[in-house]
Amino acid sequence: MGDVILTMKGIDKSFPGVHALDHVDFEVRRGEVHALMGENGAGKSTLMKVLTGIYTKDSGTITYEGKEVSFHNTREAQDAGIVIVHQELNMVGHLTVAQNIYIGREFKKGIRIDDKKMNEEAAKLFERLHIHIDPAETMSSLTVGKQQMCEIAKAISRDAKVIIFDEPSAALTEAEIEELFKIIRDLREQQVGIVYISHRMDEIKVITDRVTVMRDGAYVGTLITKDCTKEDIINMMVGRVIYEDPKACSAVAPDAPVVLKVEHLNAGRMVQDVSFELHKGEILGFSGLMGAGRTETARAIFGADPKESGDIYINGKKVEINSPQDAVRNGIGYLSEDRKQFGIVVQKTVAENSTMANLENFMRGLFIHKEKEAEVAQKYVDSLATKTPSVEQLVVNLSGGNQQKVVIAKWLVKDCGILIFDEPTRGIDVGAKNEIYKLMNRLAEEGKSIIMISSEMTEILRMSDRVLVMCEGKKTGELDIQEATQETIMTLATREISI
Amino acid sequence: MEKLKQHPMVKKIGFNRIVLCGVLILMYALFSAANKNFAGLPRILSALNYAYFLGFLSLGVTFVIATGGIDFSIGPVMFCSALISGFCLTSYGVPMGLSLILSILVGLLFGVFNGYLVAYCSVPPFIVSMASMNIAKGLASVFTKTQTVSWPQSSAEGGWYRSLIKMGNIPVGLIIFLVFAVLCFILLNHTRAGRYILCLGSNQEAVRLSGVNVKKWKMLAYVICGTLVGIAAIFFVAAYTTVQPGYGDQYNNEAIAGCVMGGTSMAGGLASIGGTVIGVFIIALLQEGILALGLPKDYQQVITGIIVIAAVYADVAARRRKN
Repeated sequence: MGDVILTMKGIDKSFPGVHALDHVDFEVRRGEVHALMGENGAGKSTLMKVLTGIYTKDSGTITYEGKEVSFHNTREAQDAGIVIVHQELNMVGHLTVAQNIYIGREFKKGIRIDDKKMNEEAAKLFERLHIHIDPAETMSSLTVGKQQMCEIAKAISRDAKVIIFDEPSAALTEAEIEELFKIIRDLREQQVGIVYISHRMDEIKVITDRVTVMRDGAYVGTLITKDCTKEDIINMMVGRVIYEDPKACSAVAPDAPVVLKVEHLNAGRMVQDVSFELHKGEILGFSGLMGAGRTETARAIFGADPKESGDIYINGKKVEINSPQDAVRNGIGYLSEDRKQFGIVVQKTVAENSTMANLENFMRGLFIHKEKEAEVAQKYVDSLATKTPSVEQLVVNLSGGNQQKVVIAKWLVKDCGILIFDEPTRGIDVGAKNEIYKLMNRLAEEGKSIIMISSEMTEILRMSDRVLVMCEGKKTGELDIQEATQETIMTLATREISI
Repeated sequence: MEKLKQHPMVKKIGFNRIVLCGVLILMYALFSAANKNFAGLPRILSALNYAYFLGFLSLGVTFVIATGGIDFSIGPVMFCSALISGFCLTSYGVPMGLSLILSILVGLLFGVFNGYLVAYCSVPPFIVSMASMNIAKGLASVFTKTQTVSWPQSSAEGGWYRSLIKMGNIPVGLIIFLVFAVLCFILLNHTRAGRYILCLGSNQEAVRLSGVNVKKWKMLAYVICGTLVGIAAIFFVAAYTTVQPGYGDQYNNEAIAGCVMGGTSMAGGLASIGGTVIGVFIIALLQEGILALGLPKDYQQVITGIIVIAAVYADVAARRRKN
């Protein structure tokens, strides 16, 4: 670990009604990986946005390479050598990989853009990072994981001295995370200071040197990673201990009726001849690598995307599902991995979102019965323990975990018997994650049947009664929870991939 | 100032609407000070005549803008409605009552046409409405053989339709307009149609994945708009009696200005009927004031243009601040 390259001292920032940062201290040394942890809303991202000039601080100082600095936008920060790899991808889908990496600073030949040179440079960059992506490929044709790798390559290509990774692994598979760690270790060798924001405890232990914990916008403390335990960090974050043990055995009786049967489902390259059964009260985990076709399968079942062939039976009866309307009518609810885009209407209230799928039952003649709506919404706010000042609150003001609960409420209000949870805890902090798990278990006990798509192995092992594994659009296996281990799942998940 | 904004009463009405009311009163005071003949009933009645038809246009386009769409065909469609129904009335002897219904029907059909293309064929609203603007103009010209159509005067046979605006000293038009505004308010805020229109304007995909038939509700917004445009045509002829083919687009800007000024977001998802009503009164007063000051009418266009840009910019800026 080298000398201190960046010091933030007494950083304070308020938004109307929220004290987002309360005199926070933070420092980064050359050649260290410094984890920044805290529950959602703890202020990690805000702190990094203050650093890179997206927000202006109310008070406090930032010292970088010995000089006090204050960046007005990300461009200035980038020019000084501080880059941020965002949680959300900032890519232009229809440009090529190389064009995206060099966007804003294209190589030129006269006044023309020199695509050939850009492709060559990008190829060199990828080679250095051991990434296997064709620079001339269109960005939108890559999987989310690969797009994330491009984003990282883009940040690195700027000769950064400080790189901030904001939950880089959220969209990556285990194998891709390994790749990412290789890259991070390389950068550490080259004396780059790295800030690593993540919710995943295992990663923190593996990759970081120090951990700084924030809670409710305030600095809690900094620890040397190798001297502390997982529980130490979690306690600092939430003040309570959480255990993550795999499920011992299935909670579903072997003779539980089949509620959903999918036969020979085909929908493009990503869904090829998928068949499976879902039992009443079961949590069926969908495991696989990023781009294995799990989300595509779910969307095809739900009618969100067109399917080419295949039969769907609900409670033994064949049904036609050609649109989300048909699916919802048949009691299927889908909770997307991307809540903001596909799950909720952020500019509307908790009540309005809760009744979205079932508004026809909240009518008094021609008019919406708003009192009944508020009452039912409140009932689910209480039973799901959604943290919101009232049901009239706009959903945009809730944290990720609570937004997820609003989506769950929407499907419970509709009384769906089959729920498809697609990455239910992505971007949700540890405490809220646990609540979502408990909730899913409770729903299963109450007789709801759940398909849970997850890229987190621990989540799959902890929650599922049975695990279905997919690889490159095909189902490669089904495991009872007793026989499911990281190894058995991984073997199935990589079956189709020829290296 | 911040405190005032947080007051429950102010929050309920909306700060923006209170400011707009202030602007309306201030404008009236300024015009009255600049021209001593301005104050008084005649000018107000004349401004109201303008506010009625413009108000219906603006109410209509509010629904479309709420879905995140836009309709540039409202002015020409209004003229097309007035011309086709007026031509039937004057040249084919269709009775007055039927002509009025025909006028609404023409507007409604344009709404169906626009809505179907936007919602079911995914043609961008901008393109659809630009095209149907030209279709409306062309159709009206062909139908009337490019003749100006004069609807009957109050005293003539069938002149009763003019009492839709004024009956003796009762401003019937104002009452009808406000009743429609209240109906639109209820439609937008208390029915399924309004709820879904606002929600899909904010995030269409999330609404679709909730199992809602978004295409149907989106199309409905255009049909509501078209119907109100058909009604606007009746109030236009009731105020001015003559309609000339090939015109009408100047009212697009004014109707959209009234709507966005009132707090309806061009990005969709947020709409205020109350704001639209006040916005329309401001535009109507503005055009009356410009006439009263003896300025060329073209100033009106310049000013409404500026209002549209300023209102949309304010909306964009407010969004950016929130993020």
